[in-house]
Amino acid sequence: MFRPNSPFPYTEAFYQQFPYYLSIGMTAEQYWDDDATLAYYYRKAEKLRKERRNEEFWLQGMYVYDAISRLTPVLHAFAKKGTKPQPYVEEAYPINKKKADDAKERKERAKAERGRRYMEGLMAQNNKRFKKDADNE
Amino acid sequence: MAKTIKQAKQLKFTYKEKEYTLEFTRRTVAEMEKKGFIAQEVEAKPMTTLPALFEGAFLAHHRFEKKDVIEEIFSHMTNKEDLIGKLAEMYNEPIMALVEEPEDNEGNVDWTASF
Repeated sequence: MFRPNSPFPYTEAFYQQFPYYLSIGMTAEQYWDDDATLAYYYRKAEKLRKERRNEEFWLQGMYVYDAISRLTPVLHAFAKKGTKPQPYVEEAYPINKKKADDAKERKERAKAERGRRYMEGLMAQNNKRFKKDADNE
Repeated sequence: MAKTIKQAKQLKFTYKEKEYTLEFTRRTVAEMEKKGFIAQEVEAKPMTTLPALFEGAFLAHHRFEKKDVIEEIFSHMTNKEDLIGKLAEMYNEPIMALVEEPEDNEGNVDWTASF
């Protein structure tokens, strides 16, 4: 990058690096006329951007993998007649602690609700049976 | 944890009630090279390069300051030995910012010796 023997070593290096900084969002004015240390922060921001993109692609891959997994019952060559695929994931994956906690709470509440309904059904059935027995007596 | 905030190195002073900020940008460094300034000569020929370096540091914020005024300010500058070091550091900053990693200072512990 830096050629000390060149008559314009710094200028050459600046022009060599210029397209890269333009590509990561720095304006020409910022590059040439603003605080020289801005370049550090643009590089750091670019690193974060790359990491975020990588995570997004990973998440996308997870959704695809999940969707294919849910389809496998019907993709099976010897699948029984009437086999249905599992439905697509109901909601987006929680990507932070709060969302994960919320999702867990929702799941637990739904589970408790199912349990309550089951118990209510059971109670209703028993009551019905007792009533029938009492009527017969 | 000691973290260093990177910011352009500037030299500030007031002369005849006017505030001056000396700084180098990539454009002004390129301009100086175009005019024939050679950074490598700073150490070897400080007496000839220092005035030119000083004058170049005005380009970023005081481009139209007259040469006579700059020379007058330069003649009044004290501690010229330190000045050359600081100006050389400032001159190198636009290039150093392109090669140094931002993480270099993060998490490093600053230390001083008492002996």
